[in-house]
Formats: sequence, structure tokens, C-alpha cells
Amino acid sequence: MSTTSRQRLSPAAVCLLLGMVCISAAVTHLTAADLGDGLRSLWTVMPGNVESLTLHYSWWPRLGMALLAGGGLALAGVLMQQVLRNPLAAPTTLGVASGANLALMLASLMAPGLLVLGREWVALAGGGGAMALVMALAWQRGLAPVVVVLAGLVVNLYAGALGMALLLFHQEALKGLLIWGAGSLAQNGWGDVAFLSPRVMLGALAAWLLLRPLSVLELDDASARSLGVSLKYLRLGGLGLAVFITGCVVSVVGVVGFIGLAAPNIVRLAGARRLGARLAWSTLLGALMLATTDLLLQHFSGALPTLIPTGATTAALGAPLLLWLIPRLRLGGRQPTASRLEVKRHPRPTRLALGLAMLLSVAVILAVTLGQTADGWFASLEGDVLQWRVPRLIAAAASGVMLAIAGTLIQRITANPMASPEILGISGGSAIALIAAIYLLPAPGNLTLVGIGTLGALTTLAVLVILNHRSGFVPERLLLTGVAITAGVDAVRSIVLAGGDPRGQQIIAWLSGSTYYVDLPSAVIVGVLAVALGLAARPFIRWLDILPLGAATATALGVSVDRARLSLLLLVALLTASATLIVGPLSFVGLLAPHMARLAGFARARDHLLGAALIGALLMVLADWLGRQLLFPQEIPAGLMASLLGGAYFLWGLRRL
Amino acid sequence: MSSPGLPAHPVRTRGVLVLLATFLLSAPLDAESDPPSIVTLDWTQAETLVALGIAPLGVAQIAAYHDWVGEPRLPESVVDLGLRSQPNLELLASLSPDHILISPMFANLSPRLARIAPVSNLALYMPQGDTWQQIHQLTREIGALVDRDGEAEALIETTENRLEELQDRLPDDPAPLLMVQFMDARHVRVFGDNGLYQAVLERLGLTNAWTGTTNPWGFSLVAIERLAGIEARLVVIEPYPAGVPAELRESGLWQHQASVRDESLITLPPVWSFGALPSARRFAEQLVAALGEATHVDD
Repeated sequence: MSTTSRQRLSPAAVCLLLGMVCISAAVTHLTAADLGDGLRSLWTVMPGNVESLTLHYSWWPRLGMALLAGGGLALAGVLMQQVLRNPLAAPTTLGVASGANLALMLASLMAPGLLVLGREWVALAGGGGAMALVMALAWQRGLAPVVVVLAGLVVNLYAGALGMALLLFHQEALKGLLIWGAGSLAQNGWGDVAFLSPRVMLGALAAWLLLRPLSVLELDDASARSLGVSLKYLRLGGLGLAVFITGCVVSVVGVVGFIGLAAPNIVRLAGARRLGARLAWSTLLGALMLATTDLLLQHFSGALPTLIPTGATTAALGAPLLLWLIPRLRLGGRQPTASRLEVKRHPRPTRLALGLAMLLSVAVILAVTLGQTADGWFASLEGDVLQWRVPRLIAAAASGVMLAIAGTLIQRITANPMASPEILGISGGSAIALIAAIYLLPAPGNLTLVGIGTLGALTTLAVLVILNHRSGFVPERLLLTGVAITAGVDAVRSIVLAGGDPRGQQIIAWLSGSTYYVDLPSAVIVGVLAVALGLAARPFIRWLDILPLGAATATALGVSVDRARLSLLLLVALLTASATLIVGPLSFVGLLAPHMARLAGFARARDHLLGAALIGALLMVLADWLGRQLLFPQEIPAGLMASLLGGAYFLWGLRRL
Repeated sequence: MSSPGLPAHPVRTRGVLVLLATFLLSAPLDAESDPPSIVTLDWTQAETLVALGIAPLGVAQIAAYHDWVGEPRLPESVVDLGLRSQPNLELLASLSPDHILISPMFANLSPRLARIAPVSNLALYMPQGDTWQQIHQLTREIGALVDRDGEAEALIETTENRLEELQDRLPDDPAPLLMVQFMDARHVRVFGDNGLYQAVLERLGLTNAWTGTTNPWGFSLVAIERLAGIEARLVVIEPYPAGVPAELRESGLWQHQASVRDESLITLPPVWSFGALPSARRFAEQLVAALGEATHVDD
């Protein structure tokens, strides 16, 4: 598929081109004063010359840092891609960066002493842990490329949710980490360069030593083993090296997106085949990419009252790049298959559903009657208390139902239990629109926000449809489009939060998914919408039973696969957009409810939908109620609570995935 | 106190009575008239209320208020309403306040809050207009809402007098100041136009060396290289994030700052940078004291 890229550009030409841009940008900066003085400032400070002082202690180290960090991340990217035989593996897609970020947040709140001892070890521990989790999630599926990336996305989302929770309650204390998390390359001396350069060199040396054994991984497992290579240790060594380099880079400059993904892929598309060539050219290209981006950014953002962090900017620029790359990549490995969807079937699904319905009513009664005031717990059924509780209950249940149905649909369309509406990026699209509204409008009312959020969701849907129409909505490609959109949302969020604007608090509150803003009329609308859209799924039940069997079988059975996928996707988008407006883009209910329903034994599409809807409602009602009580009077938003609860379940359920 | 039209729940009424009792006991205010009970989501409004001698019924995120605003302390009786961006509505309703104060940041909550009590949205730090005048305006508006017009005028007057007094104590011909707060070892918020610190400097007749643009909250987030070459005395507002002082000792750029080299750098304890009169007064007192001390050292 990808061999169409004939040698129009060689890796050397790409690097030369970018290198020229980079050098001319640098020279432009230096000639602003005096080129000779500027160059001399690299190794000395001319006394009494402020220009030279800034150049020596800030500009030159920053350039060095950009080259080092870009090269290091690209190197780590090649290693990951080689070991996993997955062109989409990269420090950011595998969750290393977000794990490191979360670990640093926790450390600065609970054990700031650790940060003084060594930030890189904290970052390394977090990043390594996150990647181990991704590997564990994808292990059963033979580390198939798409599954690995999806697992990475789930881990990214989960680490993001935890980070959100911390931010919600400690915004003031974590404001510095927000800048770091967005990846700023600003330097205040040569200390960080001196720290990073030996580590990146060491990493490069180790990669060079591993070159021959790692090349063997291009063969399939059996042939590699016949050459006498211990694949397990080789993989572990390669990945460990990649994580080490990433951890060191990330601990110094923060989360820098997409260099590790883009540089190796561009080099490969430009025609580099052998591992040695790819390693060398990718490292060079990554260094040049980050340095050029950073130089241009310094040039254009100079006068702004806020910082535009380079790392988040590369991520924001990288999202469209990834959208462009996806159709050009060859995604080998085992594709997700339908077989895994078959779990033991419950003999009497109706009875199971009845039991769930009873559980749900118990939860509803609990949530309506029991609450706290300043003096403690009390039970009440009075109008003036109910006016606060009932709308939230309806909204929580309704959004749970909608996300669960959307999740069931998408898991059945793609025959992939890791799929979910959050992962399609529709939630993310409406999140970007809402962030823009909160920042750009003076004091937006809730109705305006709802309208703008819907618009964002619909725009994202349009992008999804346009990009995937030609390929006939192939499940894997669809999910990867979602990954790219979600990554873009993350970048926008980081840039906005890093500025330290007090309105960030409002954005965090909304992003973490709360039923807080729902009043009775909107709750009723949402409830009706949930029922109506739920019923709209009924006519599709035959398709939903057939689609997981694969496109060929479905066509043989007389289903027009394209049309079925498109109409189901539209329904998914509507469901997701409505639910996202209430509980934000972070909830895991769309992933979990269908999953739990399947494990409980709801096998046929009709039962699966019903079971998932009940479980979704139950999860959200419980999450909303628990979230309001646990830290009373502070409220943990329902979406966040659901993902915290759901994440725990998810880890437990890994072995059965 | 009880909400009209609905029979109050016994437990709840008792709770409110207990609260009221503690509130009255702990805040021996002049008993000329019962001020309307008031809650606020905004820390700046909370500090102004306390300075006017009113203990608010409830304030959002009290622990964080004490961490970041510090003074004046909120009385023990004040109920924590939960997050500023999402105050606990059930709890708020059970307190039955007479009035709810918010700032424009929380405007999207006002339809919901309006069902509990009348809501007033009081703005501060608007880009147009003079910050100092806006602070006066806010103090008067809050005073009017709680029937403390006299106290509001008195607060303005004593603060103004105090600032004049402080101005007289300033050394002759003080250097321009550059006020920063560290976010991490490489980034600072530098405070300028449209912010509290700048307003206080103007009031004291001091010069702010930062002339760059600022956001609507009066600060600009910059890497510390942007501070190089600005001829000014550095004022660092605490707290330093963990590990930052150690990193700064290693930082060539920071060690070359004029104020760091000649040890004229001033460190001030934290003052709420988005505050009103009480914060302004504290900031002025600490700043003038530090300037005074430092000059004595120079002699």
C-alpha cells in the first residue's frame, strides 16, 4: 500500500531542506544584533553585553536542547517502532509521556522531596509504568499495531483523567507543572543540556550496539528465533532503552508531541529501509524538526503576553500530519478478529437484565434520598432538595445510556472491544469548541455553550466521514482518525492551561465531566433524547449481529456494509455529542458498559444493547452520587468518577480481554 | 431565614440555627443592624467582606483560600462551599443565604444560583479603566450590599492613609521594580498593567519596569530570559515551587541578573495577586518594609 512513494525525496534531501530552513532561521535571529558577536556568545559572554548574555545562557542552550530532545525522541520512536513492528508506536502514543506527567504531578503534591532528588527518575518510573500497562493491555492480541495504539490511547485517557482530578482540586499548586506538561524548551543556562547530552549519547550508543540484533526483528518471529536470538530479551532491551531516552528527555523539557512518531515515518516514506539508516536519519530529522519549529515559534510568539509551549505546538501541528500519514502506512501484524467477541453466553439474558434493572432502581432511590449538609448525613424527599438531585440523576442515567449504546454500536461495527465513542474523537471535537467559547466569548451562558459544543461535535463527525469515506469506513482507519483528533484536543488543552489563566479552572471542571450544570428542563430533554436514540438503534439489530462476523460474511449475507457502517456511525455521533455536552469528553462509560455487558453474558445484539444501557445508567448514577459524597462539600465530577471506577475494573479485566 | 413557601426540614433548620449561633458568637460585630447573610465564590470578594467586618456565611475552597490569600483569615464559622467553579448547590441552598456574590468568571452559574438567592456579579480587573478605581468601586458595591457603606468608605480611607504613610517612608529615588513569581525554574509570571501589584506601585509612586503586554489578569507568563537586560530591582513573590531555589543557584542566566549579583533581590511572602484592598495593603506594607531594610544594608 505504501510502496507508492517512489524515491522523489531521499532522507538526505529532506534533512538538507529542513536543515537549511533551520540554519536560516537561526542566522536571522543572530544577525538581529551582530552575527560575529552572536556566534562568539556560544562559548563566552561578552562583559556588559545583555544581548550576548541572553544568547549565551538562553538562546544557544535552547537550540542545543531542541536538537537533543528532538533527536532523542526520534531515536526512541524508531526503537519502539522497530521492536513492536508498529509504525504508529511513539513515546506519546504509547502513553510514556502522559505517565511521566502524572507521576510528576503526584510527586509535586505528595512528595516534593523526590523532585529535588531527581525529576528524571520520577518521570522514568511513571513513563515506564504507563508503557508496561499498554503492553499488558495489548499482550493477548499479540501486540497488533492498532491494538497497541488503542491501548496507548486508553492509558493516555486514564492518566489524563487522573491528572484532571488532581488539577481540579490543586490548580494553584500545579500551575508550574502545566507549563512543563505542555513542553516548553526555554533554558536558563547550560545545566539541562549538560544533563541530557551524555544520556542521549549513551542511548544512541546502546542503540548502535543493538543494531544487528534489532534488525532481526524485521523477520517474522520463527525465522528470528531460528537465528538464535532471544526475542523476549531483545524486545525488552529495545523498549527499555526507548523508555529511558524518552524519560530523560521528558523530565527535562516536558511532553513534546509527535516528533517521535513523525520523524521515523517521514524517513521511512522518503525511502530509508535498513534499520541503521532509519536510526541515523530519523535522529537527525527529529532534531532538525524540533529545532526549526522552536526557532520559528520564538520568532512569531515573542510579543504575546503568554507562552506558546513548543511541545504542545508540535503536537497540534502533528495531528493533521498523522491524519495525512494514516492512509500511507502499512499496518501489518495480526488484525483484530471477531473471535474474541465470543464470551460465554448467559442462558437467560432477560432474567439478567431484570436483575440489573432492580440494582439500578436501588441506586436511583439511594441517589435521590441520601445526601449531606454542613452538619452531616440526612435522608430527605422534599421538593427543595429534589430540585437539585433529580435533574442530575436523570442526566447521569441518560448520558450513561447514550454512551453505553454508542459504545456497543462502535464495538460491534469494528469488532474491537477496545473501541469506544471517546476514542472516535467526537467528544474531543466538541471539547475544543467549548474551550474556544469559554475563552473567546465574554461571559457565555449555558445555552450558547451547548450550541457551540454541538457544532464542534458535528464538525468532527464531518471530518471523520470525509476522511474515511473513500476507504469505506474501515474500522482500524476510523479508530486511528479518532486517535489523531484526540491527540489534537490534548495539545489545545495543554496550550490553553499552560497560560495560567484563572478561567482554566472552569475548563478543567467541564472537561472532567460533571452533571453539575444540568437543570430540570435540559435533564428532561436529555432523558427523552436518550430514549429516542436508544429506540433508533432497534432497526439496526440484524446488522449489529452480522457486522462483527467481518465484512466478507456480512456482504455474503446481503448487508450493504458501507451503508450500514455510515448510518450506524451517524447514530453513534449523535449519541456521543449529546452525552458529551453533559458529562464531558473523559468518561470511560462508552468503553466499559458494553464491555461489562459482554462479559456478563449478553451476547446477541439486542441483549447486548439492553444490558450495556442498563450498566451504563447504573455506572453513571453511582458515579454521580459517589462523586458528590466522597469529598463533600467538594464534588468529584461524575465523568471523572466513572473513569476512576471504570479504570480499576478495566485493569482487573485485562486478563480476559 | 427559612425559604418562603416550603416547610423547612427540621434537621436543616436546626443546622442553620446552629450555624447562625456560632456565626453570631464568633463574630462580635457592631449590632446596629443584622447584615444580610451573604456567600461568595470569589476569594477577592471574601477578603473584602472580612475586612468590612462581615463574616460570610459560606466561601468556596476555604483551605485553598488560606493557602493562597492567607490574610485576612476567614472566621471558623464560615462554611466551605466546595470548588469555586462548582459550589455545592444542595449545601448552598441549605444555608439559605440572602445574597450570593460572584465574579464574571462564574457567570455561567448565575441562573442556577439565582434559584437560591439573588446573585450579584461584581467585576474587577476589567481591561478598560483604572484598576485602583475599580478596587474602590468593588469595595463600595460590596459595602452597599451588606449595609456597610460607612465601613466601606472607612476601609478605603484607612488603606489610602496607610499607603500615603508608607510612601513617605520610601527611600529617595527608588529603582524601578520588576515583580515576578516563579512557576518553575525557567518560567515566571511577571506582573504588569491591569494587576494589583502594578496598581499598588502606582499608588506608592514607584515605577514598574515591566512594560510588556499582560493578560486581563495583569500578568504575563514568560521564560526568564525575557527579564535579562531590564534595568530594575527584582521582587520575587513567594512561594518558590519545590526544587526551584536549588536549580536557580545553578542557572547562569539567573545568576547574571543584576539584582542577584549585587544581592539587592527582594523576596516577599505570598499575597493574593488578584486581590482587593486588604491584599493591596499587605503587599504595600511588605514591599516598603523590604525596600527600607535593603537600603539600610546598602549603607
